Amino acid sequence: MRERITFIQKLGDSIESSALQVSGSQVSGPDVQAVREDRLTVALDELPTELHLLLKGSHELHIRWVSPVAYGTVSPLLARLPPGFHLFFTPGKGVDATSTKLCATLNQTFGNIACSTPAASFTSLPNDRFYHATSFQYFQPLEDLSSFIQYAKTQLCPSGDASCTTRLESLAKVSALDISYDTISHALKVTALWPYQSRPIHAVAHPKVRTELGVLSDEKTPTMEDHELGISGLLTVLGQDTQPSSTMFSFPSRHRDAQSTFSAQFLSPTGLHPTLQLQLSSDKPPMENTFCSPHAYFTLPRSIFADKYQLSDDLFLAAKNLTALRYISQPVDLEAPEYVMKPWGSSVLLELAPPPASAEKGQPWTTEIPLHLRYLLPAHGGYGNVEVPYPAVFWACAAEEGTKFPTNPFERVNLGYDGLFGPRTVFWHVEPRPQTGNRVTSAIRVPVLDLDKAGWVNVGTAAVVLAGFLWVTWKLVSVYLASGYGNAARTPPPAGEKKRQ
Amino acid sequence: MPPPRSLADRFFASRLPLYLSAAVLRAAFLVYGLWQDANSPFKYTDIDYLVFTDAARFVAHGQSPYARETYRYTPVLAWLLLPTSWTGGGGTHPLWDAFLFSSGKLLFAAADLVAGCLLERLLLARAMTPRSARQFAAIWLLNPMVITISTRGSSEGLLGVLVTALLWAVTTQQITLAGLLLGFGVHFKIYPFIYAPAIVWWMDRERMGSPGKPTTTSTARVLSFFTPSRLQLAVVSLSTFLGLNLVMFKMYKTPFLQETYLHHISRVDHRHNFSPYNTQLYLASALPSLSTPTTLLPTLPIESIAFLPQLLLSCVLIPLVLAKKDLPTTMLAQTFAFVTFNKVCTSQYFLWYMVLLPLYLPGSSFLRSKPLGLSALALWVAAQAAWLQQGYELEFLGVSTFLPGLWTASLAFFLVNCWILGVVIGDVR
Repeated sequence: MRERITFIQKLGDSIESSALQVSGSQVSGPDVQAVREDRLTVALDELPTELHLLLKGSHELHIRWVSPVAYGTVSPLLARLPPGFHLFFTPGKGVDATSTKLCATLNQTFGNIACSTPAASFTSLPNDRFYHATSFQYFQPLEDLSSFIQYAKTQLCPSGDASCTTRLESLAKVSALDISYDTISHALKVTALWPYQSRPIHAVAHPKVRTELGVLSDEKTPTMEDHELGISGLLTVLGQDTQPSSTMFSFPSRHRDAQSTFSAQFLSPTGLHPTLQLQLSSDKPPMENTFCSPHAYFTLPRSIFADKYQLSDDLFLAAKNLTALRYISQPVDLEAPEYVMKPWGSSVLLELAPPPASAEKGQPWTTEIPLHLRYLLPAHGGYGNVEVPYPAVFWACAAEEGTKFPTNPFERVNLGYDGLFGPRTVFWHVEPRPQTGNRVTSAIRVPVLDLDKAGWVNVGTAAVVLAGFLWVTWKLVSVYLASGYGNAARTPPPAGEKKRQ
Repeated sequence: MPPPRSLADRFFASRLPLYLSAAVLRAAFLVYGLWQDANSPFKYTDIDYLVFTDAARFVAHGQSPYARETYRYTPVLAWLLLPTSWTGGGGTHPLWDAFLFSSGKLLFAAADLVAGCLLERLLLARAMTPRSARQFAAIWLLNPMVITISTRGSSEGLLGVLVTALLWAVTTQQITLAGLLLGFGVHFKIYPFIYAPAIVWWMDRERMGSPGKPTTTSTARVLSFFTPSRLQLAVVSLSTFLGLNLVMFKMYKTPFLQETYLHHISRVDHRHNFSPYNTQLYLASALPSLSTPTTLLPTLPIESIAFLPQLLLSCVLIPLVLAKKDLPTTMLAQTFAFVTFNKVCTSQYFLWYMVLLPLYLPGSSFLRSKPLGLSALALWVAAQAAWLQQGYELEFLGVSTFLPGLWTASLAFFLVNCWILGVVIGDVR
């Protein structure tokens, strides 16, 4: 078991090595404005049996939870995803995709995970596009990690280990949690990210865990190239080093900061075909002299969807400041109500169209995404609620020919959209910043059948249809009584009828 | 001195003005549609036309038309629209491309004109003056609703020509042609099967000019029902229908069966439409997933027996009582009953009975009594308008109008339709 604790500050915010007190297996220091990232690497055989078995059945498994509350971060921890519970999965050889086991375990660990089996609930990711994408994707909104923390406390902490439960409880404040496994590394990596804010430097090593602490800051090193990021700061291996050692290095990174923001809101009135408007703070491409284009990557819960046919008309797209629909998971049923849908929903990659090149760049602009609601379950009061997670918005820029992006220590891969781009693409992330409040979701009120008023529907419909049927039948009977079923012009009416007339 | 001839008199005096204006109107709507499609993000062309043309493109590339999601039609439609897939050939003029893409709409519009022409013939055969025959055919030929639906690219116009041709073939006693048309019609859109009992009942020995010996025993009477022409119609139409399905199934396998036929059985028709069953269907489809106790909601399974009143009226009672008296009006009443009592009902379905209207209206109560005619039209329009207003609030403003608004509007529209149907039935003597 290994642990890496990293505090990352912004450019120019570094601390002196004398500010860190190293004593035995403990390090402490002053309060700093920083992001904290903890990464725990666990070998497969160190895990509880049920998790061990589950992971052995996976070729690759990445769980990523992102908080619905907006958070600030610093370079290089910039890769963003829509808020919610993401799962990227490639089953191991011979594993049955119709087994309920994975979903049952997820439900047990994270609480309220509404999937049934990979075959029914997951969507397939394209394997013909580029490299390293998993074969299945799953997403659903998930408010917090309370179920996961509860599960971890009872299943993973030895009884009476107060430090273990305290560490786990601190997960309640994370903005993102990644749990990654692949057969090549044969280890499970758990990475937690606490948002950029003032926090004390403090770490205690567990006797059986090798713990490394880094207090780093974003840096511009002299030899850095365009596609590289720099880091400098202090590193300490707890219980081994008596004082921190300084470090400075640079590495190529696919995730960068575009230094602009966006917000998303539904245009009013929403109706059953709501339009989501994205307001971006700047139309200035993050890089000059290379091709850059803004994109939005959505994970849409099954209650709402984009229509790929509607998004294929150039005039329509242009009117919405969109360039093209680059990817949509398949299939998307265009008619089914929400409550009979099995797949989790759909992921959508749209290329956005900034206003045409003008003299002045850096202006705010908007784009509109037409969406469609499914019918939701009837409810008391006549309305249901849907929260649509903000998309991940980024400028995709092409790096120079021949640039390689080997995995760096802070890299996140398998984010759903990275596999849809070529390996030389750099993602310049636009920070989600809501106009009001701090939630990075867009709420929408959906009209549904009002259960409070539904008491008469069944009997009323039956009565009216019966009345209509009887009226028409009566008219037919009158015709029959008057002239029988034959041709009145040719044959006389039946004898019985004649008598009555 | 003869009375001065009015403009309308002169318009209907010969065929040219009517057909020319029907064609010109369609051409104008079509060209306007091309302009709107090219210049506005809001399209004139119906979404279904894009489904047909996409399917045609798949066929052109040797694939199945069912590769296009929501293509729920016979492959024949995609084949008919193959020319729409020839666009974008290197170096061709954009106008030529627009023409090719619109070729399906041209086909639908041409089908409208042929249907109008057949209507005129059918009316003439009923000893009507050519002038009034053209006047009544104009109800179809110059109907803005018909023109719009065809030029937006909806295939219902093809149904119009199929049904009028079927009626023409039957009344002129061309049994084989009638069987071919009936079999193809059912293959194309299912619902024309309702016409089979009416036609079979209508074509008795006396009518077909081969009166047999008077029969006395009940077995003999049953046997005498199976006349040569009835058997001929049954054999030809059934083999056309089955033959086409076999060919399509051989070519496109299960997706053909699933999308063209089985879909209509399994679909959950929950999205709001004019059908009286709509609210009930939404509620019933949700019941298994509702967690709250629903003891309040009585659960007569009316949606699963909805086919009973529909088929009883359109396939049994109406043909039985009316067919021998007046075949065109019977077919109108059957279609009207089928659409009114259907579990799904959209305005495109109204075209199914509109094509038969010119054959019924002459001498109908609605024309004999102006107040009756006008109030029927007003009620039919008003009930739809009320529904559309509620639908607009739901669809575009997000107001929960399912109950009571949409529900009561759809029931009111249903009752208006039933009343009109009753009057139509009462007119058959």
